[in-house]
Amino acid sequence: MCAVNTIAAEWIKLRTLRSTWWALGIGVLLSLALTMLGATTVISRWDPGRTPDQAAMGIIVAVYVGVILGQLPFGMLGTMTISGEYASGMIDTTLVAMPSRGRVLVAKAAVLGGAATAASLLIAIPGYLFGRLVAAEFHPSLLPAEVWKVIGGGTLMIAATTLLGLALGAILRNGAVATAALVAIVLLLPFVANMLPWGEEVNSFLPTWPALQLIEQLPDIMPTWAAFTVLAGWAVVPLLIAVIVQRLLASRGGAD
Amino acid sequence: MIEVSGLTKHFRQTPAVDDLTFTVSPGRITGFLGPNGAGKTTTMRLILGLDRPTAGRATVNGMSYQHLERPLTQVGALLDATAVQGGRRAEQHLWWLARSNGISRQRIGGLLELVGLGDAGHKRVGGFSLGMKQRLGLAAALLGDPEVLLLDEPINGLDPEGIRWMRDLLKSLAAEGRTILVSSHLMSEMAVTADHLIVVGRGRLLADAKITEFVRPGASLEDVFMEVVGKCAP
Repeated sequence: MCAVNTIAAEWIKLRTLRSTWWALGIGVLLSLALTMLGATTVISRWDPGRTPDQAAMGIIVAVYVGVILGQLPFGMLGTMTISGEYASGMIDTTLVAMPSRGRVLVAKAAVLGGAATAASLLIAIPGYLFGRLVAAEFHPSLLPAEVWKVIGGGTLMIAATTLLGLALGAILRNGAVATAALVAIVLLLPFVANMLPWGEEVNSFLPTWPALQLIEQLPDIMPTWAAFTVLAGWAVVPLLIAVIVQRLLASRGGAD
Repeated sequence: MIEVSGLTKHFRQTPAVDDLTFTVSPGRITGFLGPNGAGKTTTMRLILGLDRPTAGRATVNGMSYQHLERPLTQVGALLDATAVQGGRRAEQHLWWLARSNGISRQRIGGLLELVGLGDAGHKRVGGFSLGMKQRLGLAAALLGDPEVLLLDEPINGLDPEGIRWMRDLLKSLAAEGRTILVSSHLMSEMAVTADHLIVVGRGRLLADAKITEFVRPGASLEDVFMEVVGKCAP
């Protein structure tokens, strides 16, 4: 009962800010444009012997490259959702209305996760239909079994980045710092790790390589189940840390 | 009813609130006075569970704030009226607050009328003056029709008409039997608004008395306040 009220309130908060729609709109439109451009280029180079299943897989892979591109705006939406409340001081009003910090954070995660997944479908579905149109001569099958790994991996990556953004915003409480940390974890560290001797081991535990492996953009360095586990971990563990950090800060009381 | 007992809050080593004990009773306006940094806001934050006390406890209707069911229906608070996200419209701000405590959205229109924002409900809060934000904050505090009200400097930024309106509103709310704790720096205003006074300085309780007992005949509230606060200065 109470959890429903908290989630409903956070959903109202999320959709009554214009910045939410800007972040989602930019993420969706930019990714969709790049998906269509990429799919056209890739499909035009296919050899004519492609089977219908291979064609369907190729389309889904092209689409999810686009979906992954949408992750940074969505991740920044995650940080803004909480850092904006710290910046304005409205977090106090939130906590007077809903005194459980943990429950507020979980409610924010629920509505953000839902919004990010819905937005990823707004990229994937039009992108998929467009891809089928361009690849019509290969008679792609509908959704062969192996595409679900790509769809699952891409969707989980979007959700994980968004929730990681929220967790970083909750821990660091400053939008600019949290965004910088997000970019470092999702983009810079995987790139840097690649140049290190044990880069592959490091990258196995960062979110980006497992996601790109699942959507067939990088060679496999771990089993599929491990890639899914690492991604799911990035969606959940930073949020748990954020809940614990907020508890500690609340008991000390000095940070507010 | 608000009960504060042995309430203490240290920020690092400095005590902001130091062994404070008092009761705020229903049916009257209790003025909460003290110089800057006396610990008024910290005390209110501790009552609302926004900070955790180093020692002692504060309860509302016999319970600590965190354990209240649908807290906005029991306690209304106005802390910092400017602490709102400017991108939302006034009615949207009240809408999420209402929804968070299962309060009917139907109340919002009437409340905006009551606080004099009937025409501004569709406007974004970012464009509001301080006085308008105070009115919105009061609407937020009254959203759940609470028995207990905590208002931190609610008349800051209000125009003379607004100050008189706030005074009359608080008096009528107290007459309905509500518990009202209101802080202010404006002695002349407190002198005509409050029935009871709690005076703090450097985190300690300096006075807890009926205003008629606190202010001697012939002296002003300001005179007596300066005298009491001066005694506790280092």
